[in-house]
Amino acid sequence: MPPAVKSKKAVALPAKAPTARKSKFQADLAPSEDSMVRILKTELQMTSNTDFLTDALALLRWAVSERKRGHHIISESSTGERKILLFPRLERVAPEVTLPHVDIHWTDKELESLAELASGQPADPTDALIRAMRQ
Amino acid sequence: MAVTIRRLEESDGVEGFDCGDEPLNNYLKHHAWTNQQKVSIGVTYAAVDESAPRTVLGYFTLATSSVPRDRFPQEYVRGLPPYDLPLILLARLAVDKRFSGKGLGHALLSEALKITLRVADEVGCRCIITDACPDKAGWYARYGFVPLEGKTATSPQRMYLDVRTIRRASSIDSFPPERA
Repeated sequence: MPPAVKSKKAVALPAKAPTARKSKFQADLAPSEDSMVRILKTELQMTSNTDFLTDALALLRWAVSERKRGHHIISESSTGERKILLFPRLERVAPEVTLPHVDIHWTDKELESLAELASGQPADPTDALIRAMRQ
Repeated sequence: MAVTIRRLEESDGVEGFDCGDEPLNNYLKHHAWTNQQKVSIGVTYAAVDESAPRTVLGYFTLATSSVPRDRFPQEYVRGLPPYDLPLILLARLAVDKRFSGKGLGHALLSEALKITLRVADEVGCRCIITDACPDKAGWYARYGFVPLEGKTATSPQRMYLDVRTIRRASSIDSFPPERA
């Protein structure tokens, strides 16, 4: 059985390519995810992977824009029970990363050291920091 | 193990948490939720495994702070903007010792730094500060935290990482190889 999402290699476009270039999308899906794609396509009566991806993208784009505006995404049952979607990656774009303010005790020597660092040029990032920011 | 890092929730299981440091265990078990929800002096983020999404495997706590400009020594004031210096305090970071060595500390610090960058983008902050246990200072230094002078024999090591350095790291596309 062929995979639900076809793996295609990107093909170099000829020199006279049209300006509105279409992108190829390749995904390595685990068998369970591949199965999930098939089931969803059946439920949604979709035959095209492109349509599936387009709809998934539209849904994700909407979710990101709502969380960016600080809106919560909620499902409500017929009895009025509500569940808030908590999706860690979406929380990264939420604006309510409000942290409480605390006072810190500083010694004069620490303040001098802090001022020296803060007023100087920033250091280059270490390899570990670069990896941390790409995780 | 599929780890998710999110805000601490009231129903999270913290009783079994043991990082080997009693004050850090005690903070999570008795103060983290109260400090987050009731008195608002720190927000705690918990690492949980998707297979047991209520069991806290590790955590960190963040707060904001600032240093009044008039507290800085005169010779440095000229190089600083004419405002108080806003910063983020990484107040605590701990990993349950049953899960140490699995990269959880790296994942937690990674998330803390990403939040720092988001806060810097949203409301502005200049650096992240942490008070590291002396035996953990080397671990933080790997990420570029610089020790501040002024440590006493009994105090933790206060360390500094500039937001501009974090921002620069986040904009680098190439992935440095893991060093042994």
